[in-house]
Amino acid sequence: MEEYAREPCPWRIVDDCGGAFTMGAIGGALFNAIKGFRNAPRGMTHRMTGSLTAIKARGPIVGGNFAVWGGLFSTIDCSLIKMRGKEDPWNAIISGATTGGILAARSGPGAMLGSAIIGGVLLAMIEGVGIMFTRITSEQFKPLTPEEQMQMMQQDPNFMGFNPQGDPNLQSA
Amino acid sequence: MEKESSSLRNLLGIYSPTYAPDDPSMNVSVHSSNTNTPLLSPYLNVNPYAIQEPEFILPEGASRQRGRLEYAFGAIGGSVILGAGVGGFSGLYRGLQETKGQPAKIRRTQLINYVVKRGATSGNALGIMALMYSGFGVLLNWVRDDDDFNTIGAATATGLLYKSSAGLRKCGVGGLVGAGLASAYVLWSRANNNRSLASLVGSTRF
Repeated sequence: MEEYAREPCPWRIVDDCGGAFTMGAIGGALFNAIKGFRNAPRGMTHRMTGSLTAIKARGPIVGGNFAVWGGLFSTIDCSLIKMRGKEDPWNAIISGATTGGILAARSGPGAMLGSAIIGGVLLAMIEGVGIMFTRITSEQFKPLTPEEQMQMMQQDPNFMGFNPQGDPNLQSA
Repeated sequence: MEKESSSLRNLLGIYSPTYAPDDPSMNVSVHSSNTNTPLLSPYLNVNPYAIQEPEFILPEGASRQRGRLEYAFGAIGGSVILGAGVGGFSGLYRGLQETKGQPAKIRRTQLINYVVKRGATSGNALGIMALMYSGFGVLLNWVRDDDDFNTIGAATATGLLYKSSAGLRKCGVGGLVGAGLASAYVLWSRANNNRSLASLVGSTRF
């Protein structure tokens, strides 16, 4: 459903970057709040201080890492849309793998390959779940055959929204 | 013959105003698959001059149709990218100056470190500020109706929160800076009749 509400392509990069930053910053703040709380020395004051320090130090960095991921992913996605002329799950999978690879570029070819595989598999899973949900929701709107319709109407006379036998307007017509 | 020439005209998009029931070119199915020449239904042949003029559904000057939440992600992302860009360039400049005379390979690594580190720092800082501002803005709009005081309030709260752990004095200064920047923006946008800005940035509101 989100797909239809998204911005058109060049602006999508900025939007995705911001969304990823928001997600990372809030999630990172929560995560680091707990982590700082646990790692701080004994005493409630120390723990609260440690929690706050960890949020301030690490929260934005997690957000920034997410933003880089989201922005790069979206950039490659948009480029693929333009190049291939279509929007399909392969775009997301390819851009996920490419993004993973590019962001691990400074760690050597082995790390690049590993990150690329992880990125591609991750995005494939996300796309797979999305397709699954679409399948499940589209099941509700499947058109019925006339036989099925008759069957449903025998079970529930008001199935079609009205009852042809019971409707006085229809009977007089 | 008549039919063919008229359908050719239709194909070329030349407007023929003589649509009438007895016009043979009207008798064309929408699905034209049996002939080699793809015939177009005259109903699909729109006079291009009719759509030359841009038409707006919204009245002129309606600069505020979208809420703050819809702009939040764009504003945050824009801030992150802007901050990273500015920080990256300043890091590149600084790195170039400080690594003069070093071997090329070391210099390259150093330069990448400078750019990445500075870009990330300033991008994160600006992004967090935008995130705070957007969050406060959405909250304020939720509590009360949207107006310029929400902009100023959100910016003040952002300044206060951003410097909240740096001491009372700095916190106050942060709030004042936020309030000042927002007030300046509000005054400027009011002076520009709220519209020229909208046309400048596509009715985006930060």
